Amino acid sequence: MERKIGVYICECGPNISEKIDIDKVIDAVSKLDDVSVAKRYKLLCSEEGKKYLLDEIKKQGLTHLVVSACSPRDHEKTFMEICEKAGINPYLFQMANIREHCAWITENKDEATKKAIRMTKAAIRRVRYHSSLKKKEIEGNPDVLVIGGGIAGIEASLQLADSDRKIYLVEKESSLGGLINNFEKTYPNMVPGSDIIKQRIEDIKKNENIKVYTDSEVEEIIGFLGNFEVKVKKVTEENEPAEFNVGAVVLATGSSVFDPEKTPQYGYKKLDNVITSLEFEEMNKSGKLSLANGEKPKTVAIVHCVGREKVGYCSDICCMYSLKFVRYLHDKIPNVKVSNFYSDLCIPGKTHQKFYEQTIEKNVDLIRSTDINIEKKANKISITYNDENKNKKNLSVDMVILSPAVIPNSDTKKLAGITSISQGDGGFFAEEHEKLGPISTTTEGIYIVGSAQGPKDISSTIIQAEAATGKILTSLIPGKKIEPEIKVSHISESLCIGCKTCLSVCSYGAITFDETKKVSVVNEVICRGCGNCVAACPSGAASIKHFTFDQLYQELVEAVQ
Amino acid sequence: MNKPKNKAAVVKVKNDIEKSVLDFLKKGMDNEIFDAVLIPMKVPAGDSFAYVLIKDKSLLKDASYLPPVMPVQGANAVSSITRLGKGKMKIAAVLRPCETRATVELTKLGQTDLENIILISMDCPGVLPLSDFVKDPKKGMKLFDESIQKGEDKSMRPVCQICDKSSMVSGDIHIGTLGAKKDTFFVISNSNKGDEILSKLKISKKEDLDNWQSKVKNISEEKLKKRKNAHKTLKSKVGGLDNLLDTFSQCINCHNCMRVCPVCYCRLCYFDSDKVKHPSDDYLMRAEKTGSLRCPSDITLFQMGRMMHMSLSCVSCGMCEDACPMDIPVAQIFSMVADETQDLFDYVSGRDIEEPLPFVSYKEKELEEMEDAA
Repeated sequence: MERKIGVYICECGPNISEKIDIDKVIDAVSKLDDVSVAKRYKLLCSEEGKKYLLDEIKKQGLTHLVVSACSPRDHEKTFMEICEKAGINPYLFQMANIREHCAWITENKDEATKKAIRMTKAAIRRVRYHSSLKKKEIEGNPDVLVIGGGIAGIEASLQLADSDRKIYLVEKESSLGGLINNFEKTYPNMVPGSDIIKQRIEDIKKNENIKVYTDSEVEEIIGFLGNFEVKVKKVTEENEPAEFNVGAVVLATGSSVFDPEKTPQYGYKKLDNVITSLEFEEMNKSGKLSLANGEKPKTVAIVHCVGREKVGYCSDICCMYSLKFVRYLHDKIPNVKVSNFYSDLCIPGKTHQKFYEQTIEKNVDLIRSTDINIEKKANKISITYNDENKNKKNLSVDMVILSPAVIPNSDTKKLAGITSISQGDGGFFAEEHEKLGPISTTTEGIYIVGSAQGPKDISSTIIQAEAATGKILTSLIPGKKIEPEIKVSHISESLCIGCKTCLSVCSYGAITFDETKKVSVVNEVICRGCGNCVAACPSGAASIKHFTFDQLYQELVEAVQ
Repeated sequence: MNKPKNKAAVVKVKNDIEKSVLDFLKKGMDNEIFDAVLIPMKVPAGDSFAYVLIKDKSLLKDASYLPPVMPVQGANAVSSITRLGKGKMKIAAVLRPCETRATVELTKLGQTDLENIILISMDCPGVLPLSDFVKDPKKGMKLFDESIQKGEDKSMRPVCQICDKSSMVSGDIHIGTLGAKKDTFFVISNSNKGDEILSKLKISKKEDLDNWQSKVKNISEEKLKKRKNAHKTLKSKVGGLDNLLDTFSQCINCHNCMRVCPVCYCRLCYFDSDKVKHPSDDYLMRAEKTGSLRCPSDITLFQMGRMMHMSLSCVSCGMCEDACPMDIPVAQIFSMVADETQDLFDYVSGRDIEEPLPFVSYKEKELEEMEDAA
């Protein structure tokens, strides 16, 4: 094929023209093989500039295009679109960055010009070795995998299923509902937890769009928005994992509480009648609100902020549920005396203040304290602490409820590995942006909802479930095509020696091993073209489209001489 | 592997060590612990040695567990029969320590399947350079035997003379002759597989290994000193681009070094591929710049490429140097580069099958000394 390369040098207003002798560049490149035209233009990315370039490609009958201008990060796409409009393959184009890499880094016009010549020559040499690449389109899968069957996962599943999406809901326990199952009531309106969850679980069971996997764990997730391959395995059985495809993943794995044994000053596990908030919820729900000896407690202390210093953050919900515990106690044991030990009270929001005021009306002491130490003294539990004025004080009670920090679920680490979503502050799944992308992640198509993302109450959890639903419904529209990466890796069957080095460096799980042929195989739909395998392959079997050996070699021949 | 080796079994020597070791292998076949033995044997013409896979145990008596030369690296022999996966039969492979280490490296690279292979190594006195041996095999045999008796290494391959890992145990069973009482040798187990074999043969591990260990330690320390000095001298001769170009300027581009290298395992060497063949004008352009261009070009680039690709797995076996028709000290240069690159990653090629290859193990803090000074 006869190549007709057009070289266009952008003045970028004064940005390039004042620092680089553009005419010299044109002189240096216009006689090169295959270059049929080399010209300058004042601002190629402007509307006029784009039209000029489009007309030029057609008028000159160009087959390849080189633009020496700004960083490809600014306008590579712009010029590729022009190629496409002009009828040449957008990959038969190469950009040389003579602004950031030449004009902007020196005051020396000679040096800048010399380098601009070299970079432009390198781009011309490279583009001669480019091949046309064709866009691929695949059907995006609109189905969704929801991991975690607590309120976050349930809410997301129901809402998505209502929009006719097929949902795979995976829960590691034998039943749905999560932590709410344990809550007799929920703050601030003291609605029973079962009221929130029971009907929803029934709805899930009835919904034909939702397939529930209980006692199950996700083993593998490979892919990207619109195309994730998923494997789910029953925890209890040795069965083959279930395999299916989805277009999006919702991480709703919830949270757990800090282990107070790590803070021995609270006497947890060493003393009878010192229990955690979760244990108290269960005890209360079962109707056996009593001491180890079966008697009802007459005095109870609730200690807030257990482990806060260790984890390094306020857990958002403990103050409110600790106040709820006061209500439980007053409801069940009429004359019980409750003392809440706190360091800071956290009761924001339009309804919580009222709840707080009503709760502290009777028989409650709120003690702002530090340096709490809990020991056994006679038949009582003795709490020593420093009050607000740093005076050492002491209080004896029958029962102590510890409100520990909220921490990520123990599966978070494993799932972080499976999904490649990193763990951020406190070990919770990291959102894309704390303010601007609070439920998105660095992987398009994977969302975090509920306390898997950080300590959260029920209403915030539901808000996030609704947000994720909105994201998924708007980004994954049934029938809409998805364009996988074009510049993917390829592993030559005849060169691959089967050492599997590439498998260990692929972050996307795009490479599998063909055991019969003993060679690695790239899944082109999953590959994102990062090039790790190409760099790691010891036998030169892996190559990446648009960054082939020849293309890079030819570019370097000019660039580094 | 790499469990503490404090105790070992002791086997009494009948006639000579070689016969007793072969007898030990035969017992393994008698007791159906392994179905075949991969071991060197003299070629019919009598002037060299080759690896053979012995299925008929009566042929074991003609095998040679410690041949005077290494015409084929044992790792290549193991890989040649297990590259496509394990077979049904259990095979005992008798390899020198550097061959065992290369086998371990190849296993990490997926080029062997050791599940049904039992790796048996021994204290190695080194091997003679192949070209010396083939000139007069009879004389070579005599020279090798005398060298062992006198404990001398000056006739061995240059890299054998500076080998500090000649008793390194990284397989399943090791035959230890150093420090053993007269007419005995140690049988050292280094893996569960090894333990299993000893118990099936009803050989108990009751002998203390202190003697062997201290002897091995002495020898490796002494050799390491020698190795460091040799590398220092070598570096002054070949270090720097000009010296390096001079050293390899004799290279005739035969690529023998690559073909015999056990850890150079590519199906098609990059430097034999079309990727290094460029349009004619490219060569002209290069010639124009420097005035002239050697053709074929990039001869030193081949050596440097190989160093970059293989030095982390290089076991300093010396195959490359033996195969070089131009007597370029390839193996000595590689051993020097390998020591330095492996040091960077605290890695010793073939030491432990569980030790991951540095290229595929990511550490956040690594090689900081190589980063640009900001």
